[in-house]
Amino acid sequence: MTREEMLAELKDFVGRELLDGRDAGLNERTPLLEWGVIDSLSIAELLSFTSERFQIDVPQDEVSPENLEDLDAYVGLLLRLV
Amino acid sequence: MQGVLRLSAAYVPVDPMSPPTRAATIMRDCRIAALVAPGDRARSVLDGDLAHIPLLAADSSASTTAVPEPDDHIERAPRRSVGTEDDLAYILYTSGSTGVPKGVCISHRNAMSFVEWAAREVAAQSEDRFSNHAPFHFDLSVFDLYAAFLSGACVSIVPEHHAYVPRALVEFAAREEITVWYAVPSALVLMVERGGLLSQSGLKLRTVVFAGEPYPIKQLRRLRQGFPGVRMFNWYGPTETNVCTSYGVSEIAADRSVPVPIGRAASGDRVWAVKDDGSEARIGDEGELLVSGPTVSPGYWGRQPHGDEPYRTGDIVRVEPTGDFVYVGRRDEMVKIRGHRVELGEVEAALLTHPEIEDAAVTTAGFGIEARLVAFLAARGQPPPLLELKGHCAGRLPRHMIIDSAIFLGELPRTRNGKVDRLALARMAAEGAMPT
Repeated sequence: MTREEMLAELKDFVGRELLDGRDAGLNERTPLLEWGVIDSLSIAELLSFTSERFQIDVPQDEVSPENLEDLDAYVGLLLRLV
Repeated sequence: MQGVLRLSAAYVPVDPMSPPTRAATIMRDCRIAALVAPGDRARSVLDGDLAHIPLLAADSSASTTAVPEPDDHIERAPRRSVGTEDDLAYILYTSGSTGVPKGVCISHRNAMSFVEWAAREVAAQSEDRFSNHAPFHFDLSVFDLYAAFLSGACVSIVPEHHAYVPRALVEFAAREEITVWYAVPSALVLMVERGGLLSQSGLKLRTVVFAGEPYPIKQLRRLRQGFPGVRMFNWYGPTETNVCTSYGVSEIAADRSVPVPIGRAASGDRVWAVKDDGSEARIGDEGELLVSGPTVSPGYWGRQPHGDEPYRTGDIVRVEPTGDFVYVGRRDEMVKIRGHRVELGEVEAALLTHPEIEDAAVTTAGFGIEARLVAFLAARGQPPPLLELKGHCAGRLPRHMIIDSAIFLGELPRTRNGKVDRLALARMAAEGAMPT
């Protein structure tokens, strides 16, 4: 799966599940934690989506503010873990 | 913080997650004399009229004031000036209903009365290990830090990023051999439900304390049954009083469907409930909880002191036959989101600064860890997307006050006297005008 495909799937997931079904304006640089798009509850959802959809299990130590800052950082992490 | 107190100065912990504009508002309001912060964060705040504030940066190269060498420090350390126990020790800023955060002043007497009581209540000893889960601007941390210092115990600070991973919190508790854990119920619920707390091996927990919001009874029963040998306390108290009631949670009756009581007076305070007619609530009655005593704050920074008046909590309680108080609800528009106090008026005020928003009313939906902030809005033209509103809030409010959903209406429902009909909105929020 390419970076772009991964990004599109994640964008779709975040818009659908965490933004009332509307991803208007969401891009890879939208600050996810700072804007409260994801929090400690929805991070668990994001991780399980990642595991189901991409078969990538994110280790605990990698669940850091830096790696969750925006979708760009998160996809970067996933690509490192593949 | 220790250094500041030893100088008989006062400190003001600022939420590291709050936007620079809010941090600057707080710093202006309390007229800070110096800032201690990481360099990059400080630079985002020390701007314009705050540019002259001396900075002691965590990475010392960025400091604008000299950091003394260790030897130097001892020689030249200012002598501890003699203060009184009524001197200010710290200020904690909380959400303000008018849209401006307000600073709760805490004196040395206020803090020590609580800390001494709390250390006795949990029988703190030098062998103990406390966890510090709450950030410093949240008054739960006062217990972790100072009860540990008072008893010569150790305190382990939970790394910030563990907050996102319940499993990491549980492993932290085991690895650090924590004996006393104090947290909001939301955190404990996540640790039990998603972190495997009850089946974790190697735990040394002997006391679990929670406060800040009601612990949902089903989940509390699970915790109580899972840790039969652990002492548990439900503490209660707004920032203005710190902990003013305590309840020891023993066995929970199988048919209990409401949260456990908040208990009886603590910290040397006197607490009582007053009914609408002004008389004191008796067994079975409901009334507003009032507090007087050594932990009651002298007032808000920059405002008229409370004087000797008891503090009115705004919380409605019922008096149980045992004499314990049971939390019933609020008198006003203050809500709790995962233990954090949120004045809905402050969120509404932030939303109204958006040029496209004509009218705003915010309510909550869901309970416990599922509690969410739902904004009902009227737009001037095209409704802005939720993401834009979240970004707008994030520039003005701490993270736990950012709205989770936005619902646009032609106009907000009003009661006959013209006020926003919050009951109708709460019903709509609960009923699924909500996306899932």
